[in-house]
Amino acid sequence: MTQQENTPLLDVRSVTMAFGGIVAVRDLSFTVTKGEILALMGPNGAGKTTTFNLIAGALLPTSGQIFFDGRDITQTKPDARCKAGIARTFQITQPFDELTVVENVMVATMPYHSSMSQMRKDARRYVQMVGLAERADVMAKGLSTGQRKRLELARAMATRPKLLLMDEVTGGVDQKSIPGLLDLVKSLRDEGQTLIIIEHNMRVINELSDRAIFMNRGARMVEGTPHEVAGHPQVVDLYLGEGGGHA
Amino acid sequence: MFQPLTPFKWLGILGAIIVMLLLPMVTQDTYLLHVLILAMVFGIFASAWNFVTGFAGLKTFGHHAFFALGAYGSALIGINLGLSAWLTIWLGGLIAALAGLFIGLPILRIRSMPHVAIVTLGFAEIVRITLSNLTDITRGELGLWGIPVFDGFTVPGLGEVVFSPADKVPYYYLAFALLLLSVGVITALMRSKTGLSLIAMRDGEDAAESLGINLTRQKLQVFVVSSFLVGVAGAFYAHYITILTPAAVAGVDLMILIIAMVLVGGLGTLSGPLVGALVLTILVEFLRDLDTFRMLVYGAIIILSVMFLPKGLVTLGRRWKRPPDAAATEAE
Ligand SMILES: Nc1ncnc2c1ncn2[C@@H]1O[C@H](COP(=O)(O)OP(=O)(O)OP(=O)(O)O)[C@@H](O)[C@H]1O
Ligand SMILES: [Mg+2]
Repeated sequence: MTQQENTPLLDVRSVTMAFGGIVAVRDLSFTVTKGEILALMGPNGAGKTTTFNLIAGALLPTSGQIFFDGRDITQTKPDARCKAGIARTFQITQPFDELTVVENVMVATMPYHSSMSQMRKDARRYVQMVGLAERADVMAKGLSTGQRKRLELARAMATRPKLLLMDEVTGGVDQKSIPGLLDLVKSLRDEGQTLIIIEHNMRVINELSDRAIFMNRGARMVEGTPHEVAGHPQVVDLYLGEGGGHA
Repeated sequence: MFQPLTPFKWLGILGAIIVMLLLPMVTQDTYLLHVLILAMVFGIFASAWNFVTGFAGLKTFGHHAFFALGAYGSALIGINLGLSAWLTIWLGGLIAALAGLFIGLPILRIRSMPHVAIVTLGFAEIVRITLSNLTDITRGELGLWGIPVFDGFTVPGLGEVVFSPADKVPYYYLAFALLLLSVGVITALMRSKTGLSLIAMRDGEDAAESLGINLTRQKLQVFVVSSFLVGVAGAFYAHYITILTPAAVAGVDLMILIIAMVLVGGLGTLSGPLVGALVLTILVEFLRDLDTFRMLVYGAIIILSVMFLPKGLVTLGRRWKRPPDAAATEAE
């Protein structure tokens, strides 16, 4: 399938996700083009992670459609979406406790190799990239919160996605590791990786993303450059109104 | 689990195999061999159940249904069609595997493990009740007898091999071959991509799925392989004991015994189910006189082992060598 230059990689069309009475995502539409880095912002409970769950297929929307690479994936299962090129990290990390760090990443490199040793070698590269080389052979349950976040990133990267969804990868990571992670994401960007990042750290957003969508109560409230969004009166109001936030 | 075996482990495995092979040359004691044959049958069952529950994390409590289906399937085909037990034990495995596929398809879509446990247990009860009520075919609780034994054959140089109640040695070697085959299949699968996928699935279903693992296909695959192996074990048992009752092979007592074996030996380890099967089969023989109190004793064993040996007997050695924390993270 040849893809036209102007077809977005991801096209979310009027997606709504309701959990009983709670509408976590409300009539949300946006597109992401190849090579772009989009930031999803918003206060706690705004619906950011739910949006990721919808894109990655962990949740099926109550209504609306999602297109990826020109194909309707609204009903596609998560494993098939992974194969189509969507990878995500989990905000609440989900390490495979009884596997070592490398083996965790090997799960992601499986489709690309026939032998375990090739898978292992490939996985080691990603473990190294996220700065976990020293912990490569310990069981994942022995990792700290920050290390778990990095493992999430290594696993997602190792699927070699066309679209990478990063849910608060810097959350819980110690301050001095953040520049390293930032450099890593920048190098991904320079290689043309398309990304959607959920971040509360404004510095990270400013450095990385071209465009930001600010969500509140499941709906898009403001869209623009990170700078525009952060300075938008509605956004400022929201945080002042709620007694200051962390965005 | 996924690293090449150390020479030390290779030696251990090889040593165990050699001891098992040589044993009947040292003693032909019928009772001892009988206990070991049972331990091997349970060893297959326990390994196969552990494959599904310990490694893949699917909490099924109805695997005795597959044992019964393999046993009755193979026995009935032998009795009614006159086929050789050498053939029908595989057919028994196939019947169990088909049942596994049939029951697995709806069950394995359920994400809630308590529900999986209840539904599989219910399925096994249905199998037991059906077997005891189809008296025209199975003779119900009166027992199915007249089950053909394995045909004898001649080994050039060794003479004739006859399967008879008086000589346990041929059964012993056959059971051992089936055990090696079953454990070999499970080990090979566990050390491959399948094993990696299973443990990933067990430790984090959503994450595994997000990394491209097809949960339904993977679960169905282990379930079918496991029910096949349990079915073959049941079929062998049928042609060895030559009398079957629904209570003995389809009763929940059997499942509880197997669970106890796996928990005592070590859930989610390769050698644990074998160690547990050996230890508990011998223990059960000692406790034979207890009869109706047996279940009470199994219960106590399960509770005690979970309390004091949460990772099973096979992790004991590691516990002594290393601090408990390291031992806990190294269970394989
Ligand atoms: N599976 C679920 N069932 C019911 N309610 C849910 C579910 N998942 C999310 N919600 C609700 O949907 C809303 C949006 O949650 P979501 O996790 O998407 O927020 P978020 O923007 O990621 O917040 P945070 O910054 O805290 O991570 C919340 O009110 C949450 O309680
Ligand atoms: Mg979130």
